[in-house]
Amino acid sequence: MIIGTAKETYRADAALLTTRPQQTWTGVLALVLIALPFTLNDYWLYLVCLMTINAVAATGLNILTGFTGLVSLGQAAFMAVGAYTVAWMERDLGTPFPVNLVAGGLVAAGIGIVVGIPSLRVKGLYLAIATIAASFILHFLFVHWEAVTGGNTGINVAPARILGTELVSYFGLYWIIMPITVLMVLGAANLFRTRIGRAFIAIRDRDISAEVLGIPLLRYKLMSFAIASFYAGVAGGLWAYFFRVITPDSFPFMASVFLLAAIIVGGMGTIIGALLGAAFMTLVPELLRFVMDWASPWLPNATVLLSPVRTIVFGLLIIGFLVFEPQGLAEIIQRVRRFFRLWPFRT
Amino acid sequence: MFRMTRRAALGAVAGLTLAAGPALAQEEEIVIGASLPLTGVFAFAGVAIESGLNDYITLLNEEGGIDGKPVRLVYEDTGYKVEQSLAVFNKITSSEDVHFYYGDSTGFAKTIGPEIERSGDMVLAGASFATELNDPEIHPHAFITGPDYSEMVEILLEYIAEESPGATVAMINSDTEFGRDPIERTKAKAEELGLDIVLEIVTAPGAVDVSTEVLKLRRSRPDYAIFHGYVLAPLPEFITQAKELGLETQFMGTFWSMDSKQWADVGEAADGYMGVMPYRYYHDTAEDAPMLDKIREMRGVYQHSGYMQGFLSAMLMTEATKRVMASGEELTGDTLKAALNSIQDFDTGGIIGVPISIPGNSVPVGRVYRFDAAAGEMMPVSDWITLGD
Repeated sequence: MIIGTAKETYRADAALLTTRPQQTWTGVLALVLIALPFTLNDYWLYLVCLMTINAVAATGLNILTGFTGLVSLGQAAFMAVGAYTVAWMERDLGTPFPVNLVAGGLVAAGIGIVVGIPSLRVKGLYLAIATIAASFILHFLFVHWEAVTGGNTGINVAPARILGTELVSYFGLYWIIMPITVLMVLGAANLFRTRIGRAFIAIRDRDISAEVLGIPLLRYKLMSFAIASFYAGVAGGLWAYFFRVITPDSFPFMASVFLLAAIIVGGMGTIIGALLGAAFMTLVPELLRFVMDWASPWLPNATVLLSPVRTIVFGLLIIGFLVFEPQGLAEIIQRVRRFFRLWPFRT
Repeated sequence: MFRMTRRAALGAVAGLTLAAGPALAQEEEIVIGASLPLTGVFAFAGVAIESGLNDYITLLNEEGGIDGKPVRLVYEDTGYKVEQSLAVFNKITSSEDVHFYYGDSTGFAKTIGPEIERSGDMVLAGASFATELNDPEIHPHAFITGPDYSEMVEILLEYIAEESPGATVAMINSDTEFGRDPIERTKAKAEELGLDIVLEIVTAPGAVDVSTEVLKLRRSRPDYAIFHGYVLAPLPEFITQAKELGLETQFMGTFWSMDSKQWADVGEAADGYMGVMPYRYYHDTAEDAPMLDKIREMRGVYQHSGYMQGFLSAMLMTEATKRVMASGEELTGDTLKAALNSIQDFDTGGIIGVPISIPGNSVPVGRVYRFDAAAGEMMPVSDWITLGD
């Protein structure tokens, strides 16, 4: 059982990492993240990068949906806005990639604010429909604004460059994707130690009460949309450098559902939930491939026969988590932490 | 108690190496990688393509493989999603020595294109017939087993120009990358052949209500209407409504909307539907098609036209590999592509009814078929048309 963690200052009490084990494990995680690209092959590195990009987008959506209570099914469209902005700047302006990424985030944030306006009037499913409408309008623009988006053919993106070196391998890309993700996630974690983050939570819990307490709903709801879209825009920008081609089909409506599923499975309203959800949604279908590989010596043509089963099992796993762990994967982590924190006493 | 000494350890390692030696020697084989859509919207084609690829490889291996080396297809399901296709590509190429890769979509081919060119290790074939892949300058290591989408429409236009010079034509395309692919080239070719494009319709993806489009068709009354960018829906609806309005327009389509079985399931409305097909159908009993006899021997039931595409892809990929190995060169993207381009007047065993050549990235050959509802089959109405002849 952890004892002796009494805090003497408010600052210490509000710190992100309050206990020694937390600090140690975070240090271990940092070391693992540094060691990862040296130990993984291209396949796993690809998955880690993809998962990390999804984690940024899911963290953004979690700020909006998990922390502010505003349901959105337009996150993938905002990713597309970021991706197209980056691709367009890379092609037509030739600006350096950090500038493009920030611009991608800002443009997405700007559009997020506009899309967020209905949130002042409608909530829940109604808002979800409004965001779907926005994503269809954006899709129409991607297809028909050919001068900027390249229409159906899309845009080929030149590789990101650092000091004249082109980042084309997953190893190289990891070193921009992972640090940016860490920064974004730390930013999100810190956001909820500030007045803004607490205002979001107050709005989620009861918006009328929040307004009575002096939180301007207009400003904070739109701010939440802006921040969530900024995250999506940056994630889209990273996606553009990662895949290096963008078409209107790159970010289908189902990608928004994927991100919403990620935060629900991971745990809404927790920072770690978005990370776990993104990891679950990206990695589990791939891990199920290995289960099929094990079956192949016994079952001829296992890949053809078992591929639909893989999809079904993935669906069942999601349903299973919703039924047996409605608080998401984050709750499992909490339970494990509680177990060690209180050991040898029972939770 | 057993104690591991240095000598014992060395002995164990040597023993293991000896034991593994023959196994390693046996593993010398030719691996073809593939991202196949075995689930999702394109699963019908993915499953057929897998059968085609694997059947040809089985036949080849029964005859001793390539230079005594067996060929093996390593593939995984992609769900027809580019991200998963890439994951599969990385998984397979991380663990196998692959020089030919079969991709599942245009999106995948475009995304992996720069990596294929950068590594220079392999040639990319696949289920996409996208026109933009048929540019050896931009995609020197890409290969299309058949005509590209623009060439498919051009084959149809050549047929129309031959049958009814100066005919009027309507273009009906889905509003997707796939659908819009051949539009520009269609217009250019029509002008060249003296055909008149009187109507251009672009339908929203997934559109089911086509009544307004059919009315447009009635106003312009074209002799021919060419669909592209669809598999089946909304074609039967379109054709039925047009027939009800008394239109005598001849409807046509391209490869993915030309499977015989899918039109047989549509029934009477399908009668007379025409289109271009680069390969013979499963039921074709032409005398010069021994390979089709073998296919019918292996598979007792009708195989989707995707099967023929997979079968021929495997044939051409392994033929190129055979040629490179015979010349003693290393298997790389460049040598394999050069070997593909060296294929001239090649006999496909009747999968395609004429000897084929691969001048660039595609095999620009096709034949026009018409669906006969009474027979429940696609019937050839033209000879084989080779573009550029």
